[in-house]
Order: sequence, then structure tokens, then C-alpha cells
Amino acid sequence: MKQPLGRRRLCLSLIQVVATVLLVAGIFGVSSVRCFADNPPQPDPAGIATGDKTNVQDAAGIAFVPPAPDPSSPNYAQQKKDYDEYQAQLAKEPLAGKLADGVGHIRIASNFSWTLLTGYLVLFMQAGFALLTCGLVRKKNAGHLMMLNFAAYVFAFLAYYAVGYAFQYGGAAINAAPANLGGTPTLNQFLFGHGLWGFLGGKGFFLSGPGYDSGSLCYTLFEVVFMETAGYIIVGAICERITFWAFLLCELFIGAFLYPVFGCWVWGGGWLSQVGTTLNLGHGYVDFAGSTVVHGVGGFCAFALAVILGPRLGKYGPDGKPRAFPAHNIVFVVTGTFILLFGWMGFNPGSTLGATDLRISVIAVNTNLAAVAGAATAMLVWYALFKKPDVTMACNGMLAGLVAITAPCAFVSPNSSVVIGVLAGVVVCFGVLFNERVIKVDDPCGAISVHGYCGWLGAVCVGIFADGTYGSGWNGVGATAYLGHAGQGVTGLLHGDSRQFVTQLMGATLCAIWAFGATFVVFWVVNKVRSMRVSAEVELEGLDVSESGMHAYPEDAVVTVS
Amino acid sequence: MKRIDAVIRPERLDQVKKCLSSIGIQGASAAEIRGFGRQHGHTEIYRGTEYSVDFLPKVLLTIVASDEQVSKIVDAIIEGSRTGKLGDGKIFVTPVDEVIRIRTGERGETAL
Repeated sequence: MKQPLGRRRLCLSLIQVVATVLLVAGIFGVSSVRCFADNPPQPDPAGIATGDKTNVQDAAGIAFVPPAPDPSSPNYAQQKKDYDEYQAQLAKEPLAGKLADGVGHIRIASNFSWTLLTGYLVLFMQAGFALLTCGLVRKKNAGHLMMLNFAAYVFAFLAYYAVGYAFQYGGAAINAAPANLGGTPTLNQFLFGHGLWGFLGGKGFFLSGPGYDSGSLCYTLFEVVFMETAGYIIVGAICERITFWAFLLCELFIGAFLYPVFGCWVWGGGWLSQVGTTLNLGHGYVDFAGSTVVHGVGGFCAFALAVILGPRLGKYGPDGKPRAFPAHNIVFVVTGTFILLFGWMGFNPGSTLGATDLRISVIAVNTNLAAVAGAATAMLVWYALFKKPDVTMACNGMLAGLVAITAPCAFVSPNSSVVIGVLAGVVVCFGVLFNERVIKVDDPCGAISVHGYCGWLGAVCVGIFADGTYGSGWNGVGATAYLGHAGQGVTGLLHGDSRQFVTQLMGATLCAIWAFGATFVVFWVVNKVRSMRVSAEVELEGLDVSESGMHAYPEDAVVTVS
Repeated sequence: MKRIDAVIRPERLDQVKKCLSSIGIQGASAAEIRGFGRQHGHTEIYRGTEYSVDFLPKVLLTIVASDEQVSKIVDAIIEGSRTGKLGDGKIFVTPVDEVIRIRTGERGETAL
């Protein structure tokens, strides 16, 4: 279909702009050799310089090697005494020092194994989500759904490799060095911002130079699969009517920009994580494994895209009442949900970035409790409303519980996890009904309710239920004492920290505004240039053939052998 | 020659087959269809939205036979498929112009 010349030019200009940005970032990455006065940190691609006695800690996290004494600190005298004693002892027992180097290396190695393996579990969630969403749509679109899920992984990954990781973690060493992985010292520069007010990272483009480091790449693997989760969430809301090219643009946008920006602000040492120090707001904005960084971003991005695309043909009758488009394969839906649950065992416990952090067991159990509480609540609520415990809503309830516990899982008790799961189960049920009946945003898989609304809820629950038993020194706040107690960790409203609650409310809402707003602005323009929706004939026939060239179920095609 | 089309409940197909073999039937075709008559459909609810399932699963059994056999076949079908409840189905008998066996080219009653 020929387009008017003006639109074609605008399309090409868009592509040129994107290509230029990537090229500039690439050049920047390759040429960014800002030397420090003393030794600039060197990347360690072979992993032979990572993990030594400086990484040795006891169970309480007290380092084997005391920190170098800081002249500006009030404890300078004591620090110097401890440090000098250590140096003297090390000189007398060099073998102990060598042993400590070995222990430190093993500690880092066990953390690498943990992080990578839990990352692979999260990768497997890709299959779970593909099955879940495929089962929830109509048979004629099954191939299209699978293609979307597959392409999401592929193209978002490439965007994240090129610029996304650098944007998100290029400045990690400044305020958020992952100590469990050796600290990634080479990722030490913000592209925009500096110090405690970082907005975008600036090292590690194309995973080269400072990014070609074994510790950094361990971190990359783990974080890319988290980004992929945000990337595939949008599929659930935009399926059955989006064109493939538009979808690819969405994935490149999420992988290169939308996700890494907010991810930098919260996990990359950016400004939102540092407001505890800069603005005296609790421990800064806290999101352990990504209720908002991952699910909120994905869910609200999906919301904006669903609004721009509009509902599926025939979804709303002439009187405005919604029509049911029943799932074509409940077997896929439930299997997919179980695979997601299994993968979440990597998502949440993995976010400690280390097996040496024994909170992993608490996290794993909390995650499961919220999952089952969410599922049970959704079933009961649905039964109370409609006399049948709709299995697709039960699955959505489990996922809602999982999404909502993702931020607080490390900071709350098992009892609180059950409560959080129950809250999520209620929110997802009414969220689905609200979207479908009140605001009439067509969301085939409930992605907006499960990931958007419950993601926001999860981050806020940190500010309500966190009990202070974990997270001492989080985001650099209260390393020795917090709220008057030594070793007090992240705390919520119910345990005496109202500032944290306010911070969580603000941060979670900011996530929603960012994800919805940025997506809406960009894709409203894209949609104006060229419609992101398939034609009516294609939508009615099903997108399998037109968008991916084949039927998902062969009996739908009458194949003649010539 | 006549064509007998019977719309029956899917779960009665086995019983109908038994009754037909006992009177010696030479062939039949069956297709899965959806249909309704006086047995109304029902309303389902999916994620909070109601939808009606009017067309219910049925089986369409088709037999072509000589005129003399028609009443025996119809009785056998009724015996196998009747439950006495709404939704048992219907049988239609229509005339057939020609029957040809593809393998041998035979026509007429010898092709049945």
C-alpha cells in the first residue's frame, strides 16, 4: 500500500534519528576514556582479577579486611588502629592472606553461579509467558502470539546489549556497586547527572571496554532477563491487533530506553535510590526485585499502548457492553502460569545476587506464599461475584501475588507475604473488571492489572509491611543504625517508618507516570505517522498468516501437495 | 436410493453404531457439527463477561441406502440415540440421484 510521500519521509527520519542515537552512543562508549588521576579501574574479562580477600565477610557481613581509615570520619582513630593491626597481622601471616584470597574468590564464584543460574530461571519465564498469553487468545492468533513473544526476547535483548545496559548500569559503581559480584568498578560514570543525582549511565555500551568484564557481564545476564520480562508483559495487552513492525519498535524502545532509564534511577545508583541520603526519605526508593522497575514499567507501558491501539474489533458492542473472546487453550494458560511461578524462584531470590546472602530462603518462601494467597483470593472473589472460580482469573491471581511480592519479598515476614498476596488478588480482580467495563481498555491477558496495578501495589507494600529485619545500609542509608536501632533494615509504616511509606508511594506513582507517559508520547506520534494496527480484514481472519506467514495449527490450513 | 442424515447426541454415536451393525450396514460417514432445536443453549461467563453458547456439539451421521432399507436404518438410529430428553436430534431422509463407486466406476444400487 503506497504511502503519501510526506509520511514515508517522516518514517525514514525516525529511523535515521534512532540509528544516529545508537551510533553516537557506540562512539561514546568506545572512545570514553576518561582517565582518573590515580589508577582507573581495569575491566577483567577473564575473571582472574575478581574475588580476593577484600570480598571475604562473616555471616553478619563484617569484612575480613577492615576499610582504609577515612580522615574525615569521626571514628578515624579507631579505624586507623584496626587497619594498622590488620596490616601487622598480615605481615606476620602471609599464608592466611593467601587463604583469604582463595576464600574471597570462592565467595564471589558462588555468587556468580547463583546469579547466573537464577538468571537462567528468569529466562525460562519467557516460555511460561508465551504459553500463558497464547492460551488466552483466540486460536486464529496463536502463531502471532508466539511470534511476538519470540521476537520480544530477540530484539529487546539486542537493544539492551547496544545501549540499555550502559544506560541502566553505566554508573553502578558510584552508588550501587554489586558487592556480591565483585563491585563492577569499571562502571563508574553517569552520562547525565553525577554523584547522588544520576539520571542515565554512561559506561559499557555494546558491552565493550568497561562492559567487557566478567563481573559486569554476570550482572548483564541477570539484568537483561529482567528487562525481557518487562518487554514481554506488553504482549498481553497489545496482542491480536498490533502489526509486527510496530511491535519491534516497542521492544527496541523498551530495551534501549524506557526500562533502562527507570532502572538506572532505582537500581543503577540513580537519583531515586539516593533520596534517602539527599532528601532524608527513608532508605530512598526501595524495590527489591522489580515490582515497579520491571512489572510496573511493563504494565503501564502496556496500558499506554492498549489505549493508543484501541480495543479489538467486536470487543465492545454498539451499546458499549464488552463481549467475551474466550481463551482457546486453558492447558497452555495453567502450564504457562506454573512455569512463571517456577521462574520466579529465580526472579526474587536471585535478586540478592549471591548465595552467600542467606535471606534467599526467606525470599523464596515469601514469594510462594504471596503466589498462593493471590490465587486463592482471586478464586474466592470470582466465585463470590460470578459463582465460578474462572481458572484464567485464578492464574492471574497467582501472578498478581507474585508481582506484588516482588518488591517487598526480602523485607517482610511470611505473614505479611500472605496479606500482600490477598491484597493483590483483590486488586487484580477488580482491576480486570475496571479496565474491561469502566474505562473500556481492552487487555486480552489482564497484563495491565496483573503487572501495572499490582506492581504499584507491591512497591507501596514495602512502605507498609517492611519489618526492618533485612536491608541494613540499603541505598547507603543507616549502615550502622537506623531509627535508633543498630542493624535496622528497610522499615515500613506498620513498624514505625512513615517516611518510607511516602517515598514508596511517590516512587511507585512516578514509575506509572514515566512508563505510561513516555510510551504514550512516543507511540502516539508513531501511530500518527503510520497506524500500528492491522487492517480490519486481517484482524478478522487472524494474524497468523498475515503477520507470521503460517498457521499455528496446521489443520486450519488446507495444504495441497502438488 | 435415499440419503439419511441423522443429527444425534455425540455420546450416543457408539450405541447407534452398534444398532446399525446388527442390521448389517455397508457404510456411513460422521461429522462433528453444532446445532440447536428446542434444546436451548446456555450462558457461560468468561472473565466476568457473559456469552451464550447456542450451538451445541452434535454428530451428523450420513448413510445412503436403497429404498427398502431406509425404515430399518431409521429404526436402528432411533433405538441407539433416543434418551427421551430434549436434544435427542432429528433424522432427515432425502432422495439421491446417483451413486458411483470411485474405485471401480460402478453406478447405481451396486455401488452402495
